[in-house]
Amino acid sequence: MSTTMSGQQSQQSGYGGVQIHSSTEINAAKISIENVDFFYGDNRALKSVNLNLPDRQVTGMIGPSGCGKSTLLRVLNRMYDLYPGQRATGAAMMDGQNIISPDTDLNTLRARIGMVFQKPTPFPMTIYDNIAFGVKLHEKLSKSQMDERVEWSLTRGALWTEVKDRLQTSAMGLSGGQQQRLCIARTIAVRPEVILLDEPTSALDPISTLKIEELIDELKHDFTIAIVTHNMQLAARCADQVAFFYLGEMVEVAPAAQLFTAPKEKRTQDYVTGRFG
Amino acid sequence: MSASTSSVELHPGPAKDLAVARSLGRRRHRTNLIVKTLCVTATALGLLLLASILFTLLWNGFGGLSLSVFTNTTKPPGSNGGLLNAIVGTLIQTGIGTLIGTPIGLMVGTYLAEYGGHSALSNAVRFVSDVLLSAPSILIGLFIYQLAVEPFGGFSGIAGCLALAVLVIPIVVRTTEDMLRLIPSSLREAAIGLGAPKWKVIVLICYRAAKDGIVTGILLAIARIAGETAPLLFTSLGNLNWSVSLGAPMASLPVTIYQYAGSAFEDWVQLAWVGALLITVGVLALNIAARVALRGRS
Repeated sequence: MSTTMSGQQSQQSGYGGVQIHSSTEINAAKISIENVDFFYGDNRALKSVNLNLPDRQVTGMIGPSGCGKSTLLRVLNRMYDLYPGQRATGAAMMDGQNIISPDTDLNTLRARIGMVFQKPTPFPMTIYDNIAFGVKLHEKLSKSQMDERVEWSLTRGALWTEVKDRLQTSAMGLSGGQQQRLCIARTIAVRPEVILLDEPTSALDPISTLKIEELIDELKHDFTIAIVTHNMQLAARCADQVAFFYLGEMVEVAPAAQLFTAPKEKRTQDYVTGRFG
Repeated sequence: MSASTSSVELHPGPAKDLAVARSLGRRRHRTNLIVKTLCVTATALGLLLLASILFTLLWNGFGGLSLSVFTNTTKPPGSNGGLLNAIVGTLIQTGIGTLIGTPIGLMVGTYLAEYGGHSALSNAVRFVSDVLLSAPSILIGLFIYQLAVEPFGGFSGIAGCLALAVLVIPIVVRTTEDMLRLIPSSLREAAIGLGAPKWKVIVLICYRAAKDGIVTGILLAIARIAGETAPLLFTSLGNLNWSVSLGAPMASLPVTIYQYAGSAFEDWVQLAWVGALLITVGVLALNIAARVALRGRS
């Protein structure tokens, strides 16, 4: 898949020989995050973050551990609502609606903004039911429609050929990489508009990582994607724009090529060249 | 990270001095041997006691086992009595007791693990449940006596069921809460992330993930109440005749064992051994069956 690159995409070499391919055109924002602060109790984990997630493109979020990247993802699908003592202020606008507003219907929001976690989290049921679980929450489908949806999402999740003969076996029997692709397929099956990926490859081996990477590249044609990662190569290859976070601040955001080759901020440069973090 | 090679020398390990290393190794070896001997002895002692109990039970129980035990009800000494009414009574009371106690225990355990957290109410509930878990079962019998025997003017099978249900609740509460707490929060978040409401996450995901543990808890509870005597003495009392009416006194194996084992009649004592064997084998069979069934599915 890396052999054919469309015209607008370029291959450049950044610091440390990191291969970068990305479009330089950044689309209009699907979600615009405006002055978001986040608190774990009294601890301010995000400080006035402003960031646009461009429509049908990949935004990479990088930065040292504890800098607030994952926290920002958890704001966008309101996962923090589960835990008393955590709260966000500011606005995250999606289609004219503020995600952070208390009026937001959380189940509908989470159907529109799906999330994939660091560790694969297959449900203790069959592969088929894992996919159907999310779909059933939001749609009433006939058996054949559901079969179709399961096949569609597993195909999009690059897992169909590996599991089509054992859909009725437990998902716990899949390998780690397959489980993670199942989790991505499960998220796609609900047909969200935005997919949040929280270090989706950090628990996987290099080959599985590569598969997920190719998958993300494929998915961005239809979904707006935000991916948190410690893997610079992954961010450089997958992301159209990359945002660098440090100590709860969004330090710099730029098209991937620019952020990795000509960052404006000293802190960004130090981080992407491996001088700290 | 980009610092030049450091000049700090590595700490010299004990392996540098062979004499010290050998003496340390010998000491560890000795300690290991002592601890191992103690552990094996303790295990052997425990197993020996268990084996002796089981052997005595099997020896005496099998001796009196015959078809009439299952076909005849309890009768006066010397008239070839059986245990039919006691067996059926135990099945009924254990069954209904479990059916009443399990849903309550499940829901309380779910509340504690999923909703209550560490609020004052759930801490109080947890405390009371733990106290109930270790309360002498005769107290439970007296409690139900006041509640369901005296007001209705007599001992009854249903009172026995209620007493056993009260015993089931704290066991199921504890295991349900513990098993639900073992589920990683990432699994819950994954389901909630798909837009599932909390109750669906609990029923469709958490229960499924904790199934084995919860079922084990229920089995433990059944095993416990199947052999309980004290809570039945004041409630279902026991009945020498055939009766399956929940409104009348009802026989049960433990109470029959209690009455027969201390009697002066040889055939009654023999029947008490058989009853004890039946309870033990029944509980064992139930455990094995459930384990096999659970393993087969997962």
